[in-house]
Order: sequence, then structure tokens, then C-alpha cells
Amino acid sequence: MLHGVEIPQRLIELSQKSMHTVKGRFLQPYWTESFESLAETAQESPPVSINSRALSTLITPLTPVRDGTPIIGIDTSTIKIGETEAGIIWAVRAAVVWGNNRGYRYLRLGPLPFHITEENKHAFFGGSVDHTFLNATSFSSVSAETQGRLCNLIERWIQASVSHSVSESIILWDGSLTAGTPGNPVSQISHILEAARKNRNAILAFSKTTTIRSLGWRITDFATRYEPPCLFEVADLPLSTSRRIHLLGRIYAANLSRGGRSFRLDIDRTLSREQGIEAVERLLGNELMFQGYPETLRLAHIYSTFTANDVIGIQSFLKREYGLKIINRRSIRKALFGPYGTRYED
Amino acid sequence: MRLFRKVGNTLHILSFPGEDVEKGGYLLIEDMKAKKAMIAQVIDIQFANVPGVMEELLRSPDVEDQVQGDDVDPFGIMSQILYIQDARLLVCKIYGTIVNNGFFSDNNWLPSRTDSKIRKLSTESLMKLAGITKGLPIDLGETQDAAPMIIDACELDGRLNIITGKKGTGKSHLSKILVLGLIEHGATVVILDLNGEYTNLGLAADGTKNKHHEKIRVLTPAQNFKVTLYKTNLYVVMRLLTNALNLPGASAREFRSIWKFLEQNGTLTLHELGGAIKRWKCNQHVRDAMQSRYYAILHSGFFTDNMAEALDFEAVLTETDKKGGGAIVINLKDMAPSDRKMVVEYVLAKLQEILSQWKLRAVFLFAEEAHLYLRETYWDDIVTRMRHFGLFTTFITNQPNTIHENIYRQADNIFLLNFVNEHDLQAISRAARADAETAISIVRDLPPHYCLVLGQVVKDFPIVVKIRPLNIKTMGQTRYFFLKEREKR
Repeated sequence: MLHGVEIPQRLIELSQKSMHTVKGRFLQPYWTESFESLAETAQESPPVSINSRALSTLITPLTPVRDGTPIIGIDTSTIKIGETEAGIIWAVRAAVVWGNNRGYRYLRLGPLPFHITEENKHAFFGGSVDHTFLNATSFSSVSAETQGRLCNLIERWIQASVSHSVSESIILWDGSLTAGTPGNPVSQISHILEAARKNRNAILAFSKTTTIRSLGWRITDFATRYEPPCLFEVADLPLSTSRRIHLLGRIYAANLSRGGRSFRLDIDRTLSREQGIEAVERLLGNELMFQGYPETLRLAHIYSTFTANDVIGIQSFLKREYGLKIINRRSIRKALFGPYGTRYED
Repeated sequence: MRLFRKVGNTLHILSFPGEDVEKGGYLLIEDMKAKKAMIAQVIDIQFANVPGVMEELLRSPDVEDQVQGDDVDPFGIMSQILYIQDARLLVCKIYGTIVNNGFFSDNNWLPSRTDSKIRKLSTESLMKLAGITKGLPIDLGETQDAAPMIIDACELDGRLNIITGKKGTGKSHLSKILVLGLIEHGATVVILDLNGEYTNLGLAADGTKNKHHEKIRVLTPAQNFKVTLYKTNLYVVMRLLTNALNLPGASAREFRSIWKFLEQNGTLTLHELGGAIKRWKCNQHVRDAMQSRYYAILHSGFFTDNMAEALDFEAVLTETDKKGGGAIVINLKDMAPSDRKMVVEYVLAKLQEILSQWKLRAVFLFAEEAHLYLRETYWDDIVTRMRHFGLFTTFITNQPNTIHENIYRQADNIFLLNFVNEHDLQAISRAARADAETAISIVRDLPPHYCLVLGQVVKDFPIVVKIRPLNIKTMGQTRYFFLKEREKR
């Protein structure tokens, strides 16, 4: 089904190029003992604080439409593998999942290791995507932000690739359709949405968390009070909350199954309201919902996520392949404070 | 392999796929800086506790899964991740240290994790280090690394041995190898053969005579093994009556009087004994007790008045010894339990008598399922008195809990074949010569015809041996109803 979805050669070359800079270096591995606290490192929707004055009075009850529309879920994860004297090594993995004969199929891309340093970060990001969305000057340090950008870099590539290669499908993203934040350039996301529309696809983006509130209430809390499946549209939202941030989706609180949870759902704003709602109804008719969350997206998350075993495997691979010397530099905080406030630190 | 942890005399070593290590094998942990090496035996192989493996396995699809997929992995990292998943933890028992090519049983040092090299120690090297000699060789088979496993018959001499394992694992087979090995070196062996399994020791698989044929003598009670009262010592008869036939004390005293009376008159025959019991002036209960035992003796067919058909057991033993050793198989197959006990009591009493008079230097006794014919008090006799007389016993059983605990504690050599039952494993763990954890862990996974050898013969280095085949006609072929169906399979 997903012909042509693959890791672009440029990305592989970028990875290889960055990894050549680690040869023979010391590696302070990201210790796996603290993996209980191994936080969700896949990127979440950027925190955009919007205060809506009121929810729409229109509660849209949904009727599932079972018409065989293919549902495709996409998710990407990054994880810190360790630190070298010069920078940080990250690994990225993407997963695309779709329904197949009453079961599911997945395409997993990666892991791809990247060694990002102060020296290579400009060339690295600048050369890989357009400068508007990855502005090298915003990299003040090799940090968690890099991780998010790296993840987005891959994810946008996969999302674009899927949007081009499938038609008349519903494509599920993890996150929102908010653009303009670091790693989420408006032009690129708009371009992906346009490509999807051209192929008569609908993009639905699910956020597990949201900061949008109305009258002091989180919008997802409202939705749980009504009989599912239903949607609440968050009305009177501006198209952009600042000069940089653009909301490319129409925002809903979606309560899609009984006993499930409510999620923020962004639907491509360029689609008509009716087309958007119809897309959600087709999602309901052709997809299994687990706690109100689409199964393909849940599986995409599971298949892209890194386990502790993955991290150890990658560390071991890098050690063997690039002659890294593993060192164990103890955390200064741990050395100073012992277990107090440092329990989950590596 | 990487050294991971040491707890007491247990080492935990990380091993990766491709490092071919077997349970029961030995490892040498060489600390290059300390210039010492530790010898340890692998007693268990577990999966290493790699974090995240559970999540990894849960999401990995198997053939039947509803979720299937493909991986695009341009760097080939997944193979390394899978490799890590298969990492193993070797649980090893430390047996000692090598310093300047000398072996010491010192476990109180820690090899360096970073400076230690871990490699497999071949059984041949281990044998050299341990000083396992091959003076009078008995070929048991081969070790896990295909080295010949040869033990020294001298290490069975004067020793108490146990062969145990569950049914069908090859206990009798191993026992036969030991018997033939001993007689090749001139030993005299008496076998208490419960199921007639040793009766063909002198025949090859095709039924022709083998090289041991002349050294094997099969005695079947009531057939070619009958004895006269005349040639039997009162002491032997009294042991037989009291131990095998449970004759009460008062009756035993009367019987002794009758025996002496007949002996004085030169009429010590079965026929005369029966008449004397009938006529003897004594309490009716005593007479009844003596009569019932008399009939038990009479009907066993083991005693005879016909001198021509009687066998002089003592002469058989001494002749065997003079001819350069051999095996005397007492075929107890198809005998009533009381008759079996009587014959065994006779044989043991006779052996004790002969040995105590130094008519023989020593006898190796092989006793299969001894609990079926040995009286309670005899177990203690074996580990105390009988050994000093020169009777060196090997017990063979598939019910290890039937052997008394003191036998396990005093056993010099133990040959363990497979057991899976927890009760059986607990029973064998009582052996003083074995580390309980080692014995239980290794024995549980032994395939048929593999044996864990413990004790003097291996200088207390437990060694797993694949027992060699024997070209001997098997007797104990199992009888089946669905024979044709079995042959078709």
C-alpha cells in the first residue's frame, strides 16, 4: 500500500556524515537504569496557550461510516543515546501503520543515529531542510530542542512521503497542526496538507495533551460529559496566536468511544467543516478505537518508541562501528546531593 | 564473555550469542594483572536481564500475529539490538584458583572486570590441573567437548558409589561399563541383578560371546544356584532366618538348638530339619514359627539336600579371584520378595564370612534397587563395617529417596543421570561431595545417557559425560502390547 515511503537518501547521508565525527571519541552513555523515568521523548504538540471565550454551542454527534477507507497512522520517536566530548548522539525512528485484512501492517524506518555538535548543527539542519523552519540561529545549545527538531525533521519527511503516496485515505498524525514553532515551519506543514488534499486524503492530528482552555476548563474535560462519539469545535480561535504561530487546523475536542478519553483533534482547516466531520466519521467506521484513540496511531507510537533494550543495542552498535570508548562520568548533582532530588537522574 | 558479578562462590558472567558455552562446561577467568586465574563451572544459563526486553518482545510480531510489518534499517542496527536481547547470564560455581601453574582451592579474591579474559577450559586441561589420573583406566565415554572421559579404577576401590537417575536414562548401562572396567583390571564383582539385566554381560549384541564371556558367571537361585544346609554356616542361616524371614528371638534360640543337634548327629539336611522341628519339645507357637520359616526355605528351592546340584558359593568366589577377576551375577529376576531377601542375605553373609577370613581381598558389590531386598539395618553396615571387610558397594537406583541419607553423605563417587522431579532432586542434593545447586541445576537438563560425575573419580570437579555405547546383548527389552504400531513409527 505504501509504495515509495522510505528513508530519503539525504537523511541517511546526514546521519552517516554526523556519525563520522564520533570516531574514536569517548561516549558517556545514557544510562538505562533510569529508564523507568524514560520519558516520552517523541515530540508532543508545541505548548500553545489559547484561551477561548466559549465553546461552540454546536455539539456534533458522529455516525460511523463504514466504507473501507484506509486509515494510516504515523509517529516518530527520538532518544538520547549518549554524550561525547563534542556533542550528543540521538537516535530517531519512525513508524507508519495501516490496516490490512482485519489486521495491521507496519513500516518501521530506522533507527538512524545522529551526532549533533555545536560545530555541525548549522550545516546539519541548514542543509537538510529549508531555512525557515530550521533556523540555525535558534540553536543556542545542543539541547532537548534539538531532539524535538530532529524528530520533526524525520516525521515531516515521512508525513510528506505518505501524503504523496496514498489517496482517499485518512492519515493520522500524532500532535497538532500548529505551525511556526521550532521545527514546525508553516510552509512545510502547509505543503504536506496540500499534497494530502490533492490525493483526496484527510489529515487528522490527535494530541494526547492540550493547553487550550475555555472558561478555565480544559477543552477535553468538556467533551467527556457528552454521549460519544461526538466532537466539540473550539470556536472563535484566531488563525494565528502570534506573528509566528499559525493554527493550520480546525480544533476540536473529540470524545470518540464510550469509556474512552477525550483528545484534542486538529483537522485541516482548508477542508470544509462537513468534510472534516465526515473524515472523523469514516475514521470511526473503519478503525478500532482504543480508549477513544485510533489503534493505528497507538501502534505507530508503540513501534516507533525506543525501549531500553534498543538503547543498549544502539550504544553497543556505535561502540563497535565507530570505536567509541564508553566512560561513566558521574552526575555532579548526584555526587553533591546523593539521592535527594536526583533519584531518576543518570 | 564479561565478568559481571561474584556472590559467595558464585560468579555471574555475561555471554553473547556465538559464544558457545554449555551447562556443565568449565571456564577460566584469567586476571592478567593479578596473574591469577579462577576456575568456574557453568551450572546454569539464563537470559541476561536486559532492560526493556519485555516491551521489545511484546511488540515483536510472531507468525500468527495480527500485526505484521517490515523494517527499513539502513545501518543494520536491529541485528545488534536482537543480539543484545539474546545476551545470556552464565551462573558459575567457583572451584579454585591457578597461580603459577599450581591449583589452589582459594575462592577469596575478585578477578578484575576489565582486565580479566574469560575462556572455555577444556576438560583435558581441567583433568591435568585437577590431577585426575588414568592409572587403571575405565573408559566412560566422552565429555561435552568430545574429550575421552577415562576414570581410574583405583578411585572406585574402597569406595562407596551411587548411580542414580530416572527410569530410562542409562543407569544400568553405566553400571555395566563400571563392572566390565573393574573385571578387566582383575576385580571380583558381585551383582545383585533385580531384573536379570546383567545376565548377558558376556554376550555381544549379536549374541556371540564377547571378550568378557569367560569372566561372567550368572547364578540363578533355585536353578544353578542351590546350596546345602551342610555347607552353610549356622551364622549365615541365623542371619537369613532373623533378617530375611523375621524369625522371633525365642524361636531363633530353639532353632539354634535343633541345628546344633542335627550337626552333632551329622544329619544336617532339609529333610531331617523338617522332622526335627516337628518332633522338638517346645512351645506350640515357637514350633509354628519355625515350621513356617522352614517351609519358606523349602519352597524357595534355594536349599537342596542333593550335593550334586548344590553350589559352593565360596569356591565360586575364590576361583573367580584366582582366575584374575570376574563378575558373578546373582539373577534375582522373577523371584518372590521373601525368597529374594533370603538369597541376598545368604550372599551378603557369605561375603562377609569369606572377606573376614581374608579368603578374598575385596569384592565390588553392585546392588540394583537395593531397597527392595536390603533390610533396614544393612545400610549402616555398608558404610561402617562392610567397607572395612573389603566390600565396596555401588548402589543403582531410580528412586534416590530410597537410599538412606547417610549413604549420600558418605558416598565417595556419585554418578547422576537425569532427574526432573523436585523430590528426587532434593534427595540427590544431600550428597556431601556435591554442591547442591550444581547437582540440581545440571542434572535437571541432562539428556539420556549423559551423566554428571561427582566425587573422587573426578577429584571433586563435577564433569558431564556422554556415556559410551556398549556392545552387549540387552536383556531388559520392554514388553509392549502395541508392538507392531511401535515398529511402524
